[in-house]
Amino acid sequence: MSLQMQSSYNKELDQWDLTAKGEVDISTAPQLRQYLDGAYQEKKADILLHLDELSYMDSTGLGVIIGVFGRMQESENRILLINPRDNIKKLLSITSLDRILCSDN
Amino acid sequence: MTDILKFSVPGKAEYVGTVRLAVSSLANCAGFDIEAVEDIKVAVSEACTNVVCHCKSNREGVYEVACEVGDGRMTISVVDQAGGYDITKYKRPATETPKEGGLGIFIIKALMDEVDIFSELGTGTSIKMVKYLNRF
Repeated sequence: MSLQMQSSYNKELDQWDLTAKGEVDISTAPQLRQYLDGAYQEKKADILLHLDELSYMDSTGLGVIIGVFGRMQESENRILLINPRDNIKKLLSITSLDRILCSDN
Repeated sequence: MTDILKFSVPGKAEYVGTVRLAVSSLANCAGFDIEAVEDIKVAVSEACTNVVCHCKSNREGVYEVACEVGDGRMTISVVDQAGGYDITKYKRPATETPKEGGLGIFIIKALMDEVDIFSELGTGTSIKMVKYLNRF
């Protein structure tokens, strides 16, 4: 039950590439928030959050992402979720968050 | 013929993952497919997360997770003594204006076949969730 995060800023495209690996639940959601907010405070740019290796996320993680999404809207930046697994895709679909957080919808 | 397993869990964030693992293992043994196991995992985690959030300001921070398996279904009850809340004030989240909280109950109801929530102010809350095997 852990979460590993990696971040890199792509100067050319002016965007963040963040990778989340492991699980996001009530115990690791604060870590996700810290990482996303930290990157965005360092450089206000769009965030691509790569979820290929994220095996689990529930409403605590969705809440964090919604919060970041809201704060980013003020500067017209956006956060996009890339390659969520089927279980996470299902949650995004149930909550209709795929419409605002996924690029292929 | 059903079997009942009960876990008594401290209302702390770090144990929600342990409950999730235990319940998903049970669901797997009971014959649920991968998608159903994932649904059960999320629903149980959401129920436990609610308890942990309500336990923060309460001393009675131990809750019980009871799983009944057999007869083609799995029933999971998450029962706490964390003070309860007024369930009539629960509102379905507005998906066009998403907020950070309030998605848990909505997700549980979407993923499980039957959901009953009882809450008594001053006492606690009980969430009973049922998932059927082979429901198409």
